[in-house]
Amino acid sequence: TGLSDHEVIRKRLLIDGDGAGDDRRINLLVKSFIKWCNSGSQEEGYSQYQRMLSTLSQCEFSMGKTLLVYDMNLREMENYEKIYKEIECSIAGAHEKIAECKKQILQAKRIRKNRQEYDALAKVIQHHPDRHETLKELEALGKELEHLSHIKESVEDKLELRRKQFHVLLSTIHELQQTLENDEKLSEVEDAQETIMEADPKP
Amino acid sequence: MTVFSQSVSPCGKFLAAGNNYGQIAIFSLSAALSSEAKEESKKPMVTFHAHDGPVYSMVSTDRHLLSAGDGEVKGWLWAEILKKGCKELWRRQPPYRTSLEVPEINALLLIPKENSLILAGGDCQLHSMDLETGTFTRALRGHTDYIHCLALRERSPEVLSGGEDGAVRLWDLRTAKEVQTIEVYKHEECSRPHNGRWIGCLATDSDWMVCGGGPALTLWHLRSSTPTTVFPIRAPQKHVTFYQDLILSAGQGCYVNHWQLSGELKAQVPGSSPGLLSLSLNQQPAAPECKVLTAAGNSCRVDVFTNLGYRAFSLSF
Repeated sequence: TGLSDHEVIRKRLLIDGDGAGDDRRINLLVKSFIKWCNSGSQEEGYSQYQRMLSTLSQCEFSMGKTLLVYDMNLREMENYEKIYKEIECSIAGAHEKIAECKKQILQAKRIRKNRQEYDALAKVIQHHPDRHETLKELEALGKELEHLSHIKESVEDKLELRRKQFHVLLSTIHELQQTLENDEKLSEVEDAQETIMEADPKP
Repeated sequence: MTVFSQSVSPCGKFLAAGNNYGQIAIFSLSAALSSEAKEESKKPMVTFHAHDGPVYSMVSTDRHLLSAGDGEVKGWLWAEILKKGCKELWRRQPPYRTSLEVPEINALLLIPKENSLILAGGDCQLHSMDLETGTFTRALRGHTDYIHCLALRERSPEVLSGGEDGAVRLWDLRTAKEVQTIEVYKHEECSRPHNGRWIGCLATDSDWMVCGGGPALTLWHLRSSTPTTVFPIRAPQKHVTFYQDLILSAGQGCYVNHWQLSGELKAQVPGSSPGLLSLSLNQQPAAPECKVLTAAGNSCRVDVFTNLGYRAFSLSF
């Protein structure tokens, strides 16, 4: 049946995968052994024996090669296992480093933010004049104010004095005017009385 | 179609996207990123109708998906959604001053320390809702026009809100008062009157804040209320976020822009939509293999950037 053919082919491939004819050789060995047992002459027997020995050594050589390849494969596997574990470790290490770096990035971003906030405020503060300057200006202005108010006071005092003096002058003038007017009036009355007495002399 | 909002599941393996038809689609990031991903992995594993109007904003807690749009906020269980059971767990409406028109909710913000949710939108107020009881605890008033975006300043804790009135307001949650106001359009370094004064996007890093929209995208130092860096891009930006030492922004134009705090443009990565409205960075610790940046906007596609430098592929509604 088809299935068993499949199995047969599979088994033959497994046994004789590299196609060096080991399977055929072993079959041939069995046939030559039988031939050798049935050999007639000494020469034929001896040559058959030689042939068998050579076939055997070929088989042994082939087996030796296969064993070496098998050993090599085992050691190769071990090597790959080792490399695989190493790579896993370095992946884990890289993950940790990434997490650490992410934390550092966050920290750096925080620092940058703080710095920028500081800069923003500093810019605004720069626009305002320096405190020392302003205080000095205030002091100078204060002194000027004091000085000016002194001047104002002295001017006002002078004004007051002048006003008083003028007042005295004016009142004196006024008094004098009054006195002169009174004198004039008196002399008018006296004159008038004199003319009446002259016009009408009584005996 | 326009995709307005995104949210990553608590396990980090799924992404929810909300569009202008009121639908929410759930994509499996782990399936789309795996080596055996096929075309179907880039389609939603489930799509359901969530709101009557566009889904403007979504956030996720450790078990729920919260979505908001047409004046209501709804809660969904992630575990249920992933099993394709898409029924809302609850819906709440903040106390509006007028009951005639219901203003839309543009932004949601989770306050994990208080287990509360902040909602803000068309009625110009920030409403705070306790997630356990569902009651609305405070209403913060101060904006004179509707609010576009919210951000949480964790250290203080304070909430920042930006809106159409051009101001970014900082609110202290404990005293429920406005503690700082930055009127961006009044600063000539960044104001662009031809674009308007609206603040479309906001992000904060405790000491710093970046905002943009009508005015140019600008980095502010909060304590001194000074603008320190103006980013040189003309297109108004609609979403901005801090990431490591960069600022990522997107808006008009198909690019995701990577900025350094010094103002330099480090990279401009093109996406597949003509304009982008939302960026989402999946930083859920449970799924480091799904750590991607996703971008969505004026199209039915959600771009996935596995390495921030290029668009790997797109998911599609």
